[in-house]
This record gives sequence, structure tokens and C-alpha cells, in this order.
Amino acid sequence: MVDVDSFIDEATAEIREQVGDEHAIIALSGGVDSSVAAALAYEAIGDQLTPVYVDTGLMRKGETEGIRETFAFMESLRVVEAQDRFFDALSGVTDPEEKRKVIGEQFIREFEREAKDTDAEYLVQGTIYPDRIESEGNIKSHHNVGGLPDVVDFEGIVEPVRDLYKDEVREVARALDLEEVVAERMPFPGPGLAVRVIGEVTPEKVEVARDACHVVEEETEEHEPWQAFAAVVGKATGVKGDNRVHGWIVSVRSVESRDGMTARAQELPWETLQRIQSRITGQNENVARVVYDVTHKPPATIEYE
Amino acid sequence: MTRIVVIDNHGQFTHLEGRALRDLGVDTDIVDNTTPPEEIDADGLVLSGGPDMDRIGRCAEYLKMDVPVLGICLGLQVIATELGGSVGEGDYGGYADVTVEVLDEDDPLIGSLAPETRVWASHADEVKELPDGFTHTATSDVCGIEAMSNADEGLYGVQWHPEVAHTAEGEEVFENFIDICSQ
Repeated sequence: MVDVDSFIDEATAEIREQVGDEHAIIALSGGVDSSVAAALAYEAIGDQLTPVYVDTGLMRKGETEGIRETFAFMESLRVVEAQDRFFDALSGVTDPEEKRKVIGEQFIREFEREAKDTDAEYLVQGTIYPDRIESEGNIKSHHNVGGLPDVVDFEGIVEPVRDLYKDEVREVARALDLEEVVAERMPFPGPGLAVRVIGEVTPEKVEVARDACHVVEEETEEHEPWQAFAAVVGKATGVKGDNRVHGWIVSVRSVESRDGMTARAQELPWETLQRIQSRITGQNENVARVVYDVTHKPPATIEYE
Repeated sequence: MTRIVVIDNHGQFTHLEGRALRDLGVDTDIVDNTTPPEEIDADGLVLSGGPDMDRIGRCAEYLKMDVPVLGICLGLQVIATELGGSVGEGDYGGYADVTVEVLDEDDPLIGSLAPETRVWASHADEVKELPDGFTHTATSDVCGIEAMSNADEGLYGVQWHPEVAHTAEGEEVFENFIDICSQ
């Protein structure tokens, strides 16, 4: 395990040295990684850093409001409302890698505008170690505004947590006094709820995924999963109030892990699973059934796409 | 201080092998599998897992460096292939949770885990025939040869992943290997 205090000293010193008197920008996703990277950078260079949060419409329930509160201490924080532009860009796209690409490109367009507006010379990113190996091994691409340097001519890229695992990043988050909600927040994929919707990303499916993820997070909380969420995986027939429904199938996943490299599907009590099922089908008239994913990693990955 | 170098065969878990060794307090480093043997200074080597037997670089040469070697997953298969054993597709892919039966409780690497241990695995291929001089040290329902050893030569291999968090006694495998390398 990394030595947190000396890590913070070294990381902030490195940021200060690299950025100097210039301006830097960071994309804040709401996840632990970028939150820690932003807090380290803010501690290092203060308002020379502009944290930018883009609301893609693919965020978790209550996430945008949470960001505004948690990072209220950063006066330079910008929140960009970009929901409609993301859904337009994703219209008709079904391939998982293509989705990631479209989101990454739209993200870059949003971010490019902000970067130019603030005259940022440096880009700070919350890339962690597993992102790098999954990208290098071509298992999944991780956008982390990966293509931005091609569009904006940055002086340099700063990746303060590049050698850390998720559990180590969380240790650092705690030491930085980031609110508990950030330190304990479950991992959330860069492309957001778009990869928790199989096939085309529509506002309807995303709304189902958002509500179902919220239910799963609440109902599994006492079992302390490393990650728990729901995904919209297809359509099936159901019957609700004597009417046939051709509605969404929601797959629930709850896993135990240390570092995300391997994971065990959690053995949840039947009552918990039934309560999840009941809430999701009850609150969403367009959901026909709920299933529980019992596959470990490997052979499955934690997320669906 | 004992120094154990991890040879990277492009595996998903290579970095975790380095981390496991680091957490146990030995001096460690991860190097690419094309590194010339004369540039590697180590009391022991770990051959990591990886996706492809065609991308094992100079692993064959590392077996002749006269230091103990622990082959993990593909690393085990490399040892088997290079020393005259054979590797082939298993009838049943070994993924995630596997209960492994330890066959030799005197084995320096995994004997202390006897009679059985729960491990995390991820492989389609497996060792079919042991090379000469090797002892079959562990087995499971999904894979015949889960581990093999040639203690005289200091060569060891496991088909599963002792470096991942879900392997119950993975740390003990590394501790035993560190003991072997410190002798």
C-alpha cells in the first residue's frame, strides 16, 4: 500500500513544478480518481486550476448536485450542461467501442471550448494504473479525455495518480479530507450510464438505468459491495395489471473486489434481490423483468460494455 | 535484501505480482520479456501470465539463469513447453473460483497450503505432460496439472493467480517463493 502522506507531498510538489505559473484544467467526472487528481492539483496550484464538470445526461442520480456541493470550495469550478448534445451525438450508435468514441469526442468538444476559454497550458487527468493496462492490452479503451491533446495544444499532461490502484486512490482521498461520499463512492465508468445500456443510448433507457442503479446502490448498501449497479440489457415480455408489456430487462450486478482486477459476484439474500426487483419493476412501468448476474471476473468483466 | 524480478509477458495481472512482492517487503521490479538476461540482477524470477505463447520473448533464456523461477499461468506453460512437457487446450476453461487439491505437502512452494486451497484462475490452455524431473504438486476438477515443481532446479509453476485478491492463500505462495529465493 502506498504511503499516503509522502505520496501527497510528492504529487503536489510534482504538479507545482510541472505547471509553474501557467494555468491548468481538469475534467471532473464525480468519480474518485478525477476527484483526487483535482484535489491534489488544487492543493498544489489553487485557482490556477479550473475544474470542469460536464453533465452529459449519463450521470448517476443526484450526481451533479453532489459535485456542486462537494467542490464548492473550488471557486474556479465550472458546470457545463451538455445533456442534449450528448444524446444527439449518440443517436443510432449501438457498438460499445463506438459509443465510447462518440462520448469521448463530444466530451473533447465540450472541454476544448472550456480549455481555450481559460487559456490552460496543462491538462490534469485522473488516469489510474488499471486504466493504463486495460488500454494497453486492448481490453477496453478508457477515454479520460484521451483525444484532447490532439485538439488542444497543451504544454503538458499531468497524471498525479497514474501509478495507483483504486484502493490506494481511496486512501489518498480520505487523507485529503474529501467528503466521505467521494472516498467511499463506488467506481463509475467514464462513459457513464451509456455503458449500462446495451444497444442504442436513449433518454428512456438511461432513465431506467439511472433509477435502477440508484435502487441497487441503496438496497445493497448494508452488504458493502465493492461495486453494485444495474444495466438495461434488452427487451422481454411481461404482464402488468392484466396488460402485456414488452419492456426492458434490467440486469443487477453486485460484486466484491479489492482492486477491480478480479471480482466475485456477491451472494445477496433472496429478500434483498426481491426488494430490488419489486422496486425497479414498480417504479418503472416500462421494465418487464429483473435478473441477477452471478458471473465472476474473470470470465466476465464487471461492467457490461 | 532479496531481489525478485517480475518478467512481463503482457498479462493483465503482472503489476499485481510486483505489488504482492513489494507488499511483502522484498526488492522488486517489473521488466519486459525482451530484456537481455545479462541485464537482470535477481535472486529469483517470476514469469507472469499473458495472452499468447507467441509473445513470450526471451523467457526460455531466463530459465537458464540459475536462480529460482516461479511461472504463473502462461509462465507455468512456458516452463513446461521449454523443458520438454506439453501444453494443450483444456476440456473446461478455468475461470474465477477453483478449489485446488495439493498433492505434495512437502513441496517448498505450495506444500504449506495442503490439503486444499481456493484460488482464482483464468485460462483456456493447461499443461498436459510434465517435463522430466518435475513433480505434479496440485490438481483440480477443472484442470489436471494445477501446479508442478522441480525443487532441485528451483523451477516452480502454478496455473492459477496467487497475486490476485480473490486467491485465498496467494500471499503464502509468494512468501514461500521468497524463502526459496533467500536460501
